[in-house]
Amino acid sequence: MKQVNIGSGSAFWGDMLEPVVEMAERSDVKYIGFDHLAELTMALLNRMQLKNPEMGYIPDIVPWMKKLLPITAPKGIKMITNAGGANPLQAALEVKKVIKSMKLGPMRIGVVSGDDVLPSLDEIRGQGFKFTNMDTGEEDIDRIRGDIVAANAYTGADEIITELRNGADVIITGRVSDNALYVGPLMHEFGWEYTDEYVNQVAAAVTIGHIIECSACVTGGMSNMWKASERPWASGFPIAEVFENGDAIITKTPDSGGIVNTWTVKEHLLYEVLDPHNYLMPDGIGDFSTIKLNDVGPNRVKVSNLSGKKRPDTLKLCIGYRDGYIGEGMVLFPAPDALEKARFAEKWLRERFKILGVEFEELRIDYIGVNTLHGEAAEIEDKDYNEVGIRVAGKAGTRQEAETVRREATHLWTQGPIGSSFGTPMNVRPVIKLWPTLVPRELVRTESQLMEVK
Amino acid sequence: MKKVQLKELAYARSGDKGDVCNVGVMAKTKNVYGFLVKALTPEKIKAYYKGMVKGGVEIYPLPNIDSLEIVLRQSLGGGATCTLRFDQTGKSMGPVLLGMFVEADEALIDEAAKASAAIEKGFGK
Repeated sequence: MKQVNIGSGSAFWGDMLEPVVEMAERSDVKYIGFDHLAELTMALLNRMQLKNPEMGYIPDIVPWMKKLLPITAPKGIKMITNAGGANPLQAALEVKKVIKSMKLGPMRIGVVSGDDVLPSLDEIRGQGFKFTNMDTGEEDIDRIRGDIVAANAYTGADEIITELRNGADVIITGRVSDNALYVGPLMHEFGWEYTDEYVNQVAAAVTIGHIIECSACVTGGMSNMWKASERPWASGFPIAEVFENGDAIITKTPDSGGIVNTWTVKEHLLYEVLDPHNYLMPDGIGDFSTIKLNDVGPNRVKVSNLSGKKRPDTLKLCIGYRDGYIGEGMVLFPAPDALEKARFAEKWLRERFKILGVEFEELRIDYIGVNTLHGEAAEIEDKDYNEVGIRVAGKAGTRQEAETVRREATHLWTQGPIGSSFGTPMNVRPVIKLWPTLVPRELVRTESQLMEVK
Repeated sequence: MKKVQLKELAYARSGDKGDVCNVGVMAKTKNVYGFLVKALTPEKIKAYYKGMVKGGVEIYPLPNIDSLEIVLRQSLGGGATCTLRFDQTGKSMGPVLLGMFVEADEALIDEAAKASAAIEKGFGK
């Protein structure tokens, strides 16, 4: 049976480089997918591009390609990355320079774009379509229209497949869904299509992509198996050995650290999922209720009996809009009476905000070491803690108001309880709020081109 | 019957999708799964988190992998990009749930403890 090995090289902008270099060197993967984009990243990249039209992609792509291309080019490993962000064409031009300067050509770069819906938002609304907020139910974007800074559709694998057919060695995309970076190569290799005939195979590709797309998160990172993981500081990134019937073995780079077993695969299968019967992705819908998982060797898990449904008619659209500022402060108090000192500090802060007349849209005060993570569910014990901290965060309409949180927390140093310890003040940050919605697939015009590098 | 924390019976991992937090709960054995399907209800989960979960709670049972997907709506202060929570993406919500007390058969608790020992045999090395 035909088998295709595909690895995950990055889960976010800032992920570790060594594990993917090791994967390229030591494993026999044919494809590596790289996700660099979180929900907020597109707004940030848009801003970078506005300041400089030659920016707007993930700058890491240049040093990464310098390190990886000399290994992947001779082995014929193809890399698919969404590091193009808001400017995939410029990212491709930068990679072209790397290929030329390192004399790695001839190579082909596929460039995928067209996920940016911002320029056509009003045109689409003009046709009578409403961008209803999926979280809040608010009917359309009228209230926030003037504050919108990004609108990117999570697109599917269509254009990735086109460029693989064209013989691309590296594919650089914009806001293609993380999942499509894996679905594309699998559909291309096995000849799977978006038709009734291949529904379960494409859903298998969606599910397998989901299992490996967060790099170390399925190889012992962020895991209940954290103590069982071998050399977790040298964890390998995951590899899926996929078969043409849609089954797969989930494993990791040979001789790497970390752990892969049915528990790490279950953890990731369930991760960031709502209804597990309908895991909605642009290329298909995964149904996790039929999956079988089996340990078939050390760090090898067989995933079989995958199923699902055809891809939806709509794509997820993430609209980002400006929504005020957040100011934060953090101060730690030592024993004796650490918790009492933190309570005193809370009272002190609230009184200060009253005197200053600042009205926050929202204000939150937590005791570090007591209820910062457990929130209202925490049972607070009145004991003599070694130390307790206070964290204050406030959201306000203006930067100036948000600054008062930082400033007043700073004043606790000299006017708060004895022993108040401070660290370094945190900067106020602008808030880009997300408006999750849907857009009809046919209104998102994705496109691609092939760049030959001699 | 004995009161135990959920951590004795299951593993959990959580994450975010906008303002929704999801908690994957993985039973340590098939029998434990059978117990948890009945013992964990949306009402009990919501009550355990007290005010942290402002919206509805849904539980999706997955008998094929002895796990439950628990969905907590309006639980992340509006979502990662605008929340005042220190844990912006809800990573701690799963481990927090493992502190919940349930009443279970002692035989079942023993079974889970034995399973843990086998699963976690590398632990603490």
